[in-house]
Amino acid sequence: MNTKIDCRGLACPAPVLKTKELIEQEQPENLVVVVDNEAAKENVTRFMEHQGFAVSTSVEGSDFQVSGRAEGGAKAAPVKTVEPEELKQKIMVMVGTDRMGYGDDDLGLKLMVSFLKTLKEMGGELWRLVFVNNGVKMTVSESEVLPVLKELEEGGVHVLVCGTCLNHFNLLEKKVVGETTNMLDIVTAMQLADKVINI
Amino acid sequence: MAFPTDENVIVGLDRADDAGVYRVNDDLALIQTVDFFTPIVDDPYWFGQIAAANALSDVYAMGGIPKTAMNLVGFPIGEMDISILREIIEGGIEKMKEAGVVLVGGHSVEDAELKYGLSVTGFIHPDRVLTKKNLKDGDHLILTKPLGTGIVNTAIKGGIASPKVIERVTHLMARLNRKPAEIMSRYEVHACTDITGFGLIGHLAEMVLDSVNGIRLQSEKIPIIPEAQEYAQMGFIPAGAYRNREFRASMTEFAPSVDRFLQDLLFDPQTSGGLLICVSKKDSRALEKELKTDGVQDAVIIGEVVKNGGEKIFVQ
Repeated sequence: MNTKIDCRGLACPAPVLKTKELIEQEQPENLVVVVDNEAAKENVTRFMEHQGFAVSTSVEGSDFQVSGRAEGGAKAAPVKTVEPEELKQKIMVMVGTDRMGYGDDDLGLKLMVSFLKTLKEMGGELWRLVFVNNGVKMTVSESEVLPVLKELEEGGVHVLVCGTCLNHFNLLEKKVVGETTNMLDIVTAMQLADKVINI
Repeated sequence: MAFPTDENVIVGLDRADDAGVYRVNDDLALIQTVDFFTPIVDDPYWFGQIAAANALSDVYAMGGIPKTAMNLVGFPIGEMDISILREIIEGGIEKMKEAGVVLVGGHSVEDAELKYGLSVTGFIHPDRVLTKKNLKDGDHLILTKPLGTGIVNTAIKGGIASPKVIERVTHLMARLNRKPAEIMSRYEVHACTDITGFGLIGHLAEMVLDSVNGIRLQSEKIPIIPEAQEYAQMGFIPAGAYRNREFRASMTEFAPSVDRFLQDLLFDPQTSGGLLICVSKKDSRALEKELKTDGVQDAVIIGEVVKNGGEKIFVQ
């Protein structure tokens, strides 16, 4: 089937979107897209190639013709929105201390730092990271794990820090990462999470 | 056109740099800059943050400290609810707070299309002004944010970007260049600029123009937003990237091994992009390390200044 569409007068990304719509609806074997600017020509070429077409271009006066032929007769695959993997579960990690385990305090701090640095290995399933009691000290300006927490936060993990606790230790002004939170939020998060891990 | 000038102008209109610099006395110079644009994200609060971070960036790129700012607003009164403007300005103020900048005024006009930005004034020592020039042979180049915001924004316009990608790129554009500017002040830095509409290559071209130097880029080192590559392959590339390429094609040489989509990314116009820091070779590793450990995770050495490079950019 031969199909021709006119995308003259359209600015990017409109020509690509029209081409995408046509390929999805009609799955043509041969397709010609007429555009009137260099950027649209380049972008439509890239898109058709990405969809498995063999592409050639020609100049027609001040316009360009981008012609595609579905390679090996294969139908072009419909375009999917690039979605990240579906989350399998939502994990909430509660950090109630700045030391991991009991015994030696220096060792406990080292372990806690190492724990927080390694948390990212949970990948997209790590949903919320909540700091309460002495744990809030990991989120203030002296903490050595700030870059790690910021990275988690930028990666989409919700970092929550207990406001009452910050207030108790007089650290409200010194918190640099995470969102100040309250007990209602924490309880609600526990209810929504698939798994709550307590440290 | 002849522009009036005087002896206290350190950086003026005669050289296209990030901001103007005016000497007040031997210890103090003023940095002045202004920037505003139409919305690039749907959320007004985040648009305010991005516009403010983008305007403040020019002061950081000169090595200075921003001090005061004024709002610039164009608003379609009657067509848009005034609460939107309030959210935009709240976003802007949030960024100004983070930068330690005070809002001292502003001006708004009725406009067919919404626009927001800032005029910013900063301080710097007159001897410590960093411009785009003054590259030295062997210097290393550090880039502090990944490339690809123009391509991702085009994909967002096309409705194919996922909410997670939109959120990530929004946060990236809203991130201040304050931290890298503070950190680089402790190292032997020869030149600096921020990456905006001309793309990485466009800004590198400005740096080597009228010099004897060239630039060699290690393409595999250049940080990019992961999704930008797929969007580029799908043809979601802003027209500005093609214009940038056309404008600087004669100054650029790509090794055959450099993928076409990576080439696209090097010309991609950035919104509120990172700093491009030209630092002495002896300091570059230490600066890169301090940036990485102090919250500027994406910072990486991407290339070097080469002698007798004939104003060219070689991409390997």
